[in-house]
Amino acid sequence: MRRRTLLKMAALGAGALALPRPVRAMGDASRLTIGQIEHGGRWNPRPAALRRLSWELTQRTSIEAAGDAIPVRLGRPGIHRLPMLYLAGDGALPPFAETEIAALRRHLQYGGFLLVDAADGSDGTGFDASVRRELQRLLPASPLGRIPREHVLYKSFYLLDHQGGRVLTKPWLEGQVLSGRLAVVYSQNDLGGAWARGPLGEWEYECTPGGDSQRETAFRIGINVAMYALCTDYKDDAVHLPFILKRRS
Amino acid sequence: MSSSVGAPYNDWRLAFLAPWPRPVLALLALAALAAVVLAWLGLRGEARAGRRAALIALRCVAALAALFLALEPALQLLQTARVKNRLAVLVDRSRSMNFPVEPGGEPRAEAVGRFLVDSKADLERLGSEVALEGYGFDRDAWPADLSALARAGAAPGGHTDILAALRAAAGGSSSSGRRLAGVLLISDGADNGALADGVVPQVRAELRALGVPVNTVAVGTEAPRDLAVERVAVDDFAFVRSTLTVEATLRARGFGSEDVKVVLRREGAVVAQANVRLEPGKELYTVPLSFAPDTTGTFVLTVATPVLPGEAVAENNSRSFVLRVIRDRVRVLLVAGRPSWDERFLRGLLKQDPNVDLVSFFILRTSGDNPGPQEELSLIPFPVAEILGEQLRTFDAVLFVNFAYQPYRALDIEHYLPNLREYVKGGGAFAMVGGDQSFGEGHYAGTPLAEVLAVDAAEGLGATAEPFRPRLTPEGRRHPVTALAAGEGPNEAAWSALPALPGLNLTLPLPAASGARVLLEAPSIVANGAPAAVVAVREVGAGRTLAVTTDSSWYWGFVAAEEGQGNRAYQRFWNNALRWLVRDPELTPLQVQPDRPTVDPGEPVGLSVAVRGPDYGPAPGSKVSAELVSDEGKVVGHAEGVAGPDGVARLEIPSPPPGAYKVAAQAERAGAGAERATSAVSVRSTGPEDSDAAPRPELLREVAEATGGAFATLPRHGLPALRLADPEVVEVGRRKDVPIWNRWWYLALLTAALGAEWVLRRRWGHW
Repeated sequence: MRRRTLLKMAALGAGALALPRPVRAMGDASRLTIGQIEHGGRWNPRPAALRRLSWELTQRTSIEAAGDAIPVRLGRPGIHRLPMLYLAGDGALPPFAETEIAALRRHLQYGGFLLVDAADGSDGTGFDASVRRELQRLLPASPLGRIPREHVLYKSFYLLDHQGGRVLTKPWLEGQVLSGRLAVVYSQNDLGGAWARGPLGEWEYECTPGGDSQRETAFRIGINVAMYALCTDYKDDAVHLPFILKRRS
Repeated sequence: MSSSVGAPYNDWRLAFLAPWPRPVLALLALAALAAVVLAWLGLRGEARAGRRAALIALRCVAALAALFLALEPALQLLQTARVKNRLAVLVDRSRSMNFPVEPGGEPRAEAVGRFLVDSKADLERLGSEVALEGYGFDRDAWPADLSALARAGAAPGGHTDILAALRAAAGGSSSSGRRLAGVLLISDGADNGALADGVVPQVRAELRALGVPVNTVAVGTEAPRDLAVERVAVDDFAFVRSTLTVEATLRARGFGSEDVKVVLRREGAVVAQANVRLEPGKELYTVPLSFAPDTTGTFVLTVATPVLPGEAVAENNSRSFVLRVIRDRVRVLLVAGRPSWDERFLRGLLKQDPNVDLVSFFILRTSGDNPGPQEELSLIPFPVAEILGEQLRTFDAVLFVNFAYQPYRALDIEHYLPNLREYVKGGGAFAMVGGDQSFGEGHYAGTPLAEVLAVDAAEGLGATAEPFRPRLTPEGRRHPVTALAAGEGPNEAAWSALPALPGLNLTLPLPAASGARVLLEAPSIVANGAPAAVVAVREVGAGRTLAVTTDSSWYWGFVAAEEGQGNRAYQRFWNNALRWLVRDPELTPLQVQPDRPTVDPGEPVGLSVAVRGPDYGPAPGSKVSAELVSDEGKVVGHAEGVAGPDGVARLEIPSPPPGAYKVAAQAERAGAGAERATSAVSVRSTGPEDSDAAPRPELLREVAEATGGAFATLPRHGLPALRLADPEVVEVGRRKDVPIWNRWWYLALLTAALGAEWVLRRRWGHW
């Protein structure tokens, strides 16, 4: 065995030890396990991204997150066991079948949540063009709109006032609203690219132009999104307002 | 009739003897008028006014004479007589007549008796003109002999309604057929009927509609020394924990400057008080008494003042009323040990419910987490002392969702567990929802909170990740918490259709004597030899608790929705659970309701007791009983009955003594345990006659003025000069027609007028 291979395996082992794997007597059903949607395009461009986000969630918050995302197909049963879904892609994706769109719509209408992440950082082409088309089909009555800075999403855990990701294609997030809550959040900044970390602990992609600060913000956005999925507008409750206003001032 | 034959004629009137019908007479009159008009038209060309006037005058005389002869007028001689009409003497027999005429004086009823004796001669003199009719009255009027009324003594009537008495007198005795010439009303004027607010325009119109003068004699001039709670202004219901202001009106007469303490009591305990300074010359005082009811229910409250020396009436120093305290919205505290889907969906459900005021606290980070600088976080400290200490009793229900008390040493939550236990025993509601930080896993065994949990959260049983399908227990089949559909069969089918759950906390059932019931169990998972409880409820002290040992009840909504069932089962379950926890009246199997919240002294207390069976439908045939319990815990009345086909029993408890009472009802239901329910009722200590001792002579003066009657007061004046309507004149005997038209000179006058006109017309060239 070559020394490089040995080091690699040792690092893998250390990483595995560091990952959250508490034994749960009640099973993983109530953990935050993210379902990653398989589609006809490159559906998993950042395989390590959600694993790292889960690790950060466990390290920084009280959320119990499962390590790995679970791939799901929209047309197949079982997606309702995963209330939070992640739709990523690199490049264009073919249209979903009507049954798939209907299944995803039902998921969201009954309380589910979808995070959409453009790994290619595209704007008007590639994944961006495809996913806008699909989201329009998904919730035609609720078009994608810019999420205002005052939205509870930016204070659900961290107090955020700027964007993060591998790139900064758009300095904002967009969303689709159902029954007064964000059901879909869309980032064009490749959040997964900023989260992804290799087996040796190295960051898989550089974050430009902001470097590590931009990466940290990407993690904070990911944590806020997960916190929002689980707590919705909890941080808009009146009891929190004086504290948040004080810290924002 | 024979007596009138020889009597002279004493009246006359003009009559017309012409046999023609009226239309013919009218034509004759028109013809006479036309003759005059034609004459006038024909003389328009006459230049000399004197000639024209003379000819027209002659035509008018001729026309009138012709008409007179045609109508055949006559004098009709009549024999008539005047009818002897009635004078109604109304004597007030209400209890206010037992108060003295003036402080230290004789009772008003006695003064009236003496007045009737003294006025007997004068009244008898009136007998030649009118027929005297005596009436006693209070709420109604009844015929009575005036001598008997003079000797009647103490007055017993509970109400005074002068207008009703006047109407009754106007109707009079049907046998006499005589018209009413007037009324002599003898009263203190303390009306609590239609005239309670004085002679308002509508009452004035009704008095005038009587059509006769009402002569009034007011007895009593000065109010005795008395302090009374005259009125209590408050809504019929109040919201729990919201400040309520009861506005009491005191009436004080005959006092100097002195301080009086006014208290508001709820079932014996003072909940508010205020001091009032009485001042000479001031009668009315408005006293606001504020308090915040801390629990829902129906309560009797009493506003009371001390009885001061020399007061005419002691019983009117307090006034009770019934207040229904309801919740405006169910205030729920949701505490979650960590963000989870169970918390997420439960919060979403409660937030959507407009009847729920939700306060949430979630532990978003623990001491082991490292999120970075605090100032970059939106986190706030968990205000444990405020929420679980001071404010705890402001919540209708507290939900612990996968929340452990131990990990947060700095918060010292353990310190508040006894408070939570007492909150439940005192009537609060608590639910513990499963997770790896709940029940035994949360190390609640042996804690004060464990004493009120709906299951035994024994340490060491652990939890299981084995999927299971829950099953209704016999108790669960009829309990409202687990009623997903109406009827046992559909309900079991609804539960069977739900997806399997992925795991639960293992607990032990509590003995039935503890008041706990397992409603839903996991048949495939055994804990200590019995199926593990999934949902259990418990009545403990005055409160209720719920245990849901799984952290995946959200499967009944979100996962069920994927299978085409929607999330109705999840919503229904948690809505049921919350309503049961906070004792929603709709989910109470027994309800008792008094017919009226306040009854007058001497009246029975009517109650409706509605019983529901285990299926929450009407329970006909159930034996029910109810008793009235005083503040001191003494039972003062009791009644029993059987529920009818609609599940309602009507009970009547014979007139209890004045006071404020808790109504405690109990029902024995076939196939189910005894149920209890409470309400409240108050029996007035005084009726309206006793609450105000003041006479109202000014009211009687207004009545007299409104009807054209005379007014006098006792003891200052005697019988006033009565004003009476003129008696009716009726024809009682013969009549005779004496013609006045058949004199020759009327015909001569007609002939002369016509002849003169003819002659003059010829001479003046108008022919």
